[in-house]
Amino acid sequence: MQAFLAEYLPILIFIGIATIFSGIAVGASLFIAPQRPDVEKTSAYECGFEAFGDARHKFDVRFYLVAILFIIFDLEVAFLFPWAISLGNIGAFGFWSMMIFLGILTIGFVYEWRKGALEWE
Amino acid sequence: MPFENLPDLVPVLPEIFLALVIMSLLMFGVFQRGGRAETDVNTFRVISWMAVVTLIVTPLLVLSLAGSTLIGFGGLFISDPFSVFCKILVLIGSAGSLVMARNFLEEHDMARFEYPVLVVFATLGMLMMISANDLISLYMGLEMQSLSLYVIAAFRRDDTRSTEAGLKYFVLGAVASGMFLYGASLIYGFAGTTNFTILEQVLQRDTQDEYGQSLGIIFGIVFILSALAFKVSAVPFHMWTPDVYEGAPTPVTALFAIAPKIAALALFMRVMVGPFGDLISEWRQIIIFISVGSMLLGALAAINQRNIKRMMAYSSISHVGFALMGLAVGHDSGIRAILVYLTIYLFMNIGTFACILAMRRGGVMVEAIDELAGLGKTHPLMAAAMTVFMFSMAGIPPLAGFFGKLYIFLSVIQAELYLLAVIGVLTSVVGSFYYLRVIRLMYFEDPDEPLDRPVSREISLIATLAGLVTVLFFLYPDFLVLSAATASSALFLN
Amino acid sequence: MLEITISHYLTVAAILFTLGIVGIFLNRKNVIIILMSVELMLLAVNLNLVAFSSHLNDLVGQVFAMFILTVAAAEAAVGLAILVVFFRNRGSIAVEDVNMMKG
Repeated sequence: MQAFLAEYLPILIFIGIATIFSGIAVGASLFIAPQRPDVEKTSAYECGFEAFGDARHKFDVRFYLVAILFIIFDLEVAFLFPWAISLGNIGAFGFWSMMIFLGILTIGFVYEWRKGALEWE
Repeated sequence: MPFENLPDLVPVLPEIFLALVIMSLLMFGVFQRGGRAETDVNTFRVISWMAVVTLIVTPLLVLSLAGSTLIGFGGLFISDPFSVFCKILVLIGSAGSLVMARNFLEEHDMARFEYPVLVVFATLGMLMMISANDLISLYMGLEMQSLSLYVIAAFRRDDTRSTEAGLKYFVLGAVASGMFLYGASLIYGFAGTTNFTILEQVLQRDTQDEYGQSLGIIFGIVFILSALAFKVSAVPFHMWTPDVYEGAPTPVTALFAIAPKIAALALFMRVMVGPFGDLISEWRQIIIFISVGSMLLGALAAINQRNIKRMMAYSSISHVGFALMGLAVGHDSGIRAILVYLTIYLFMNIGTFACILAMRRGGVMVEAIDELAGLGKTHPLMAAAMTVFMFSMAGIPPLAGFFGKLYIFLSVIQAELYLLAVIGVLTSVVGSFYYLRVIRLMYFEDPDEPLDRPVSREISLIATLAGLVTVLFFLYPDFLVLSAATASSALFLN
Repeated sequence: MLEITISHYLTVAAILFTLGIVGIFLNRKNVIIILMSVELMLLAVNLNLVAFSSHLNDLVGQVFAMFILTVAAAEAAVGLAILVVFFRNRGSIAVEDVNMMKG
């Protein structure tokens, strides 16, 4: 029973550290930062939309484009997790394979950057 | 040793070369000072020619691998005489369509450098499809090809018809991919492997034991078969073809009619004859059905078409039906006949589309078949070229198209599939009606208003070359038939 | 207590896949729904692959599923991009408006 619980000790430590850090972050901004609220600042923020209202109205196609660009890079990164876990076993070849893959992804990224797809206007 | 498990890269050299070129071209293009229309067109021209040169150099790399069977990446990738043969056809097709595209794209305000890059991308996908030796690598190649093709179908992005073609192609292509994957998952689950070589052994063993094949394998094959039928646009999965061919910009249609078709048929042959070769009794009936269906529909539906691109779509459906007849044979001779047929199909189609691309009036493309009226008087050379291609497609001796059909029929008769051969001959006769109608229009009717002259240099060059191959093929068919024989026997080594 | 076996997974995947196909061919409203149906088909395939992979004790199925996931993302991106371009030209993404060419 003791050994079983001991396996969960790291998680307990994580929870503790997370609580302390988030407490510090929220507390610091509450006590140290200047507070000058106005209507815009206190209203709920939702990616530039009205936070409440009809969900079925049309919205700017640019959100759509950003989402399209995001989803590709988002999911390609899924390859990084198994790679990171097994990095110790796959050696230099495994490491450089992923570097080549990331290089190809970067070329795609440079392309969309130069094309101006990342600019809002 | 840091690289002790480095895979053997030699069989993949042509693909690696293409991939590197694509990425460099993309970076080169995007770092040019853009913005002004003039510089954009210049960038497009430079990259277009570089892409063509690349597509002409790659066959040399492919040829350097000829004559041996090499397996790379732990069995995922195979380079054998069969793949070398098909890859060269695909590369010729892509290069030809890219050369023809330049003028059209510049005149229709589509001269963006992404076009050649996407074409080379699609070609890379096709090469991977042809060389795939595993369901996973097959899927990656297929998707690489398809995703690039969806985008170039919609490349004329301010045109409703082009974007609609892209949308239709995308939706139906995605469904086909889904079906392929479902079939692949069943095969994986019931055979326990995705590798073609091991799959072949497993299925061979299963066929010989007393229980026979499990139902899961049969279902998997049916799903994969329908997905492949989709990609080669065979009946009953042909419905996207006419719309996409009509809507896409004409050089794109030319590409669609040539390169992806050859790649998909090569894939079809490798999958059916390789891993599923021992199950021929299960799939032969299906192939015969889709082959007959494609020939009939292609021949009958083309008669009423007014748009020449639509007519070519139905023509390509019926050609696929003919090619699949050879697959129904399943032997060495059938595959060899398909390879000969595909080579001839490649040259006939490049030539026909070169002529179609020359159909312009006032700098704008016209697409109605009636516009060809009186071409024999106004453009005698172009009309002569078109006549050659139409006669060849109809299968009239001594043009190349006749020999393509002849080899297919010979192999079908050898396999004693007499009914199939009779249906093939009949549909071929019906089909020649609409090809001959084009010729009648050109020589026996008066023009309303002549088409533009002169025809651009690249297009006349390609039409001439394709025409020469089509006309003079009968002088020296041995070379093609022998290389096709080497290529097809590679599929039957074990 | 009911034990969850491989056949249960396969049944769920088959139902999801059929739903995806039916969704594509019966849907008469919106092209976005078609994209969602395609995604459903691919997820059904992934379920199949992962179930088989665990059943066969073989990792290839999960590797395949990873590839399908990422390619599906690229496919969705291309599809949505084409849809946006189509919408700009046609002003609608209703399935019945994808009808410029008939024959």
